[in-house]
Amino acid sequence: MQAALGHAPHTPAPGDHDYAVTGIDSRKLGMWGFLASECLFFGALISSHLLYRSRAPEGVHIPHDVYDIPYTSVSSFVLLMSSLTMVLALAAIQRNDHRRLRIWLLATAFLGTVFIGGQVYEFTVFTHEGLNLSSSVAASSFFVLTGFHGVHVSVGILWLLSLVGISLRGQLPAEKHLQVEIAGLYWHFVDIVWILIFTVVYLVPNTH
Amino acid sequence: MADTEATGDTPEPPGSSAVVTEETEPEPESESTPELEAGTAGLALVHHAPEHTHPSPAKYVGIAILLAVITALEVALYYITMPEALVVVLLLILATMKFALVAGFFMHLKFDSPMLRRVFITGLALAGVVYFVALTTLRVLI
Repeated sequence: MQAALGHAPHTPAPGDHDYAVTGIDSRKLGMWGFLASECLFFGALISSHLLYRSRAPEGVHIPHDVYDIPYTSVSSFVLLMSSLTMVLALAAIQRNDHRRLRIWLLATAFLGTVFIGGQVYEFTVFTHEGLNLSSSVAASSFFVLTGFHGVHVSVGILWLLSLVGISLRGQLPAEKHLQVEIAGLYWHFVDIVWILIFTVVYLVPNTH
Repeated sequence: MADTEATGDTPEPPGSSAVVTEETEPEPESESTPELEAGTAGLALVHHAPEHTHPSPAKYVGIAILLAVITALEVALYYITMPEALVVVLLLILATMKFALVAGFFMHLKFDSPMLRRVFITGLALAGVVYFVALTTLRVLI
């Protein structure tokens, strides 16, 4: 068979087993598949909030009554900028610049932590206003939606910090930049979801 | 350096994420047979798809500034008095622009393999259609 082919057999390079017949790294393809499924997950949460956002017993606040748009705008801006630091981290490892990789990864984790801190503060304020998971369907759908997003951000922060640790131990060479790229895909997706939540949940007028 | 030139191996340029594993030895011309075609097709499948060059850090910063400006416009729309339907349409357009910028440039969907684009858009479109139909049926949207 090889003689008939007329050239040497293909010898897989290290890491070749990660490539499917599609020619795309299966880890990257898997992450995109996961993100596609997350569209359905967050779509369900956003839709249920849109459906229930005005339903509350008489005299009980709905989340829209207590939104602090300037505060949430700053929080959204912080998360948006964390996408920039994340992509700069990827660019750094692709240039084999490990010092900057760690700086940008830490900056991304820091901005994510600021966002989560802001969300905890917002939840605390809302709780003082009488909103909690069981005060109304509107509040419940709001807390479930934003809470699940917050959990995703928190998982992302842990992921980024673990990459910093791996890099510090010298186990994240430039050839393994895909590890940073996949973490980045997850992080950017979390940012994209917040772009939609910020617009649809916070900014779109609630007239029902 | 001399060794590199002698073997024909070229080091991967910094910043490049190319993962193409082309055979370095020239392939001799040979007769085409069904067996050969099947064999070469199989080999072609295991060759990694070429990835395109990603944008420069300066371009990433430019995209981030654009995203910040769009966010400022969104917040401004919240305070400007105008017909509600118009506000909703403008907000959705701006959010879609931000979505596309992050997915296209930061997630490299614009530059990576079209298959990745298809995988993501399938999930996105499915979610969009399913929830649009559900919310329309429940008279939330229209």
